[in-house]
Amino acid sequence: MRMTATQRVDLWLRQATPIALTVLLAILSAVPIGIPGYTAVVPAYTAMAAFYWAVFRPDLQPPFALFLVGVLQDILAATPLGMTALSLMIVHGLAVSQRRAFLGKPFVLAWFGFVLIHALAAFLVWFLASLLALRLVGPEPAVFQYLVTVTLFPVVAWVFVRIHRYVVR
Amino acid sequence: MARRPGSFTSVAQPVRSFWSRFAFALLLAGAFTLMLLGKADVLLVERFRTSVADALAPVLEVLSRPAASVADTVAAARRLRDLRAENERLRVDNDRLERWQHVARRLEAENKALRALTNYVPEPAVAFITARVIADAGGAFVRSAMINAGSDQGVRRGLAAVTGDGLAGGVVELGSRHARVLLITDLNSQIPVVVERTRDPGVLAGDNTRLPRLVYLPQNAQVLPGDRIVTSGHGGVFPAGLPIGVVTAIDDGSIKVMPYVDWNRLEYVRLLDYGLDGLVRPAAGTPPFTLMGPERSDRGRLLGLAPK
Repeated sequence: MRMTATQRVDLWLRQATPIALTVLLAILSAVPIGIPGYTAVVPAYTAMAAFYWAVFRPDLQPPFALFLVGVLQDILAATPLGMTALSLMIVHGLAVSQRRAFLGKPFVLAWFGFVLIHALAAFLVWFLASLLALRLVGPEPAVFQYLVTVTLFPVVAWVFVRIHRYVVR
Repeated sequence: MARRPGSFTSVAQPVRSFWSRFAFALLLAGAFTLMLLGKADVLLVERFRTSVADALAPVLEVLSRPAASVADTVAAARRLRDLRAENERLRVDNDRLERWQHVARRLEAENKALRALTNYVPEPAVAFITARVIADAGGAFVRSAMINAGSDQGVRRGLAAVTGDGLAGGVVELGSRHARVLLITDLNSQIPVVVERTRDPGVLAGDNTRLPRLVYLPQNAQVLPGDRIVTSGHGGVFPAGLPIGVVTAIDDGSIKVMPYVDWNRLEYVRLLDYGLDGLVRPAAGTPPFTLMGPERSDRGRLLGLAPK
C-alpha cells in the first residue's frame, strides 16, 4: 500500500518524536529555573528518556542520534565532552539488552531496572569525572543527583507513556 | 541458480545486527576519544564546543525567559508576605548605613588628601558589561553559567563576573554571542585572595560544593570565622579587592568560605573590564606543538594557579 505525502510526513514526524523529545530535555535541563539548589541536582532527564525509548521503542532511538544528544548536553552543561554521551550509550545498551524483562510487566519492574542501570551509568560518570579531574570528586552531589533522578523517573515516564500512546503510537 | 527473496534477508540480518553492535562499540570508543581530546585541550574541540554553544545561545535565551519570570513571580509573592518585617529591618539598616556613609565620606576625603600627598598611581577605570544568565547547568560535576554576551559585545576571556553581592566567577569560554563563566565553586576554579583583616594571601579553591576552601595560606596565618575574603589581584587576572565571601568554618586544615553571591538568584552578572590582560602570555611566536594553539595557555592559568 502506498502512502500519500502527508501520511509520510506524518509518520516521519511521529517517528522522530522520541529523539526530538530527548533533545528538548537536554536543552531544558540547562535552563535556569531558580529553585534553590536545583542546579546541583538537576535530574538526568535524558537518561530517563534513553531508558524509556530503549525499552519500549528501540527502533526509534538510533544509538548515533542518542550519542549526538549526549554530546549536545555535554556542551550545554560544560561537562567533559563525551561524558554524558557515554552514560547515555550505556543506559541505552543495557536497557535494549534487558528489555524483554520489562516488556508487558508491571511498571515497578521497569522502574527497578532503571534504578539498577542508571546506578551503573552514574557511577561510571562519577568515576570518569574523577579520572579527568585527576582527583577524587566529592561523591555527594552525584549521589543526590542519582536519587533525584530515580525518584522522578515515574513522573517523567508517565509523560513519556502519554506521548508514546498518543503521538508516537 | 535463482535466489529466493528470503535468502537475502537471511544473509543481511546477521550482517545488520553485527553492524549495529559494531556501531555501538564504535560510539563507546568515540565517547572515550572525545573525552581524551577534550582533556588534551585540542583547539578543534574547543572551537566545536564554542560554535555549537553559540548556535544554541538564542534558543536558551528564549527558554530561560519564562523560567525566570516564574521564579520572579514566586519571589515577588514571598516578598509581599514579608513586607512589614522587611520594612522594619530596612529602617534599622538605613540608620546604621547612614552612620557608615558619614564615616565613608570622611575616609574618602582623607584618602584623597593622602593620595595627593604620596603621588599614588590611580587604578584603571572600569568598564561594565551586564549580561543575563541563560543556562546554569552543570549537574554534579561542574559549576558554570552561560551568559548572553560574547566577543560581539566586547567580552574577553578572564573578565571577572560579579553580582551585586560579590565575585561570581570568571569568563573561561568565549563565543561570539555567548560566554561561559566558571563559578568560584567549581572544582577547577582557583583564585588568588587575601584575608581582608590580616592581609594574609591565599588561594580560594572550589570543590563543587557550596563552600569553597581557602588553601595555601602562610604558616602563621590567623584566620577567624567571620573574616572577609577579597581578591588579591595577584596574577593579574582579577582586580584586587572584589568581595568574595566570609570564612564560616575552620576544621583542622580546612577553611570553608561562604560566598556572598546568592547562587539561587544568579540572573544577571556584570563583567568588569579593568583593561588588565593579566594572563601569563606564552613566549613570543607560535607554540611548538600546533594542535594546541595559543589559546591553550589561557585556559589552565586563567583563574590563577591551576596546577599543570
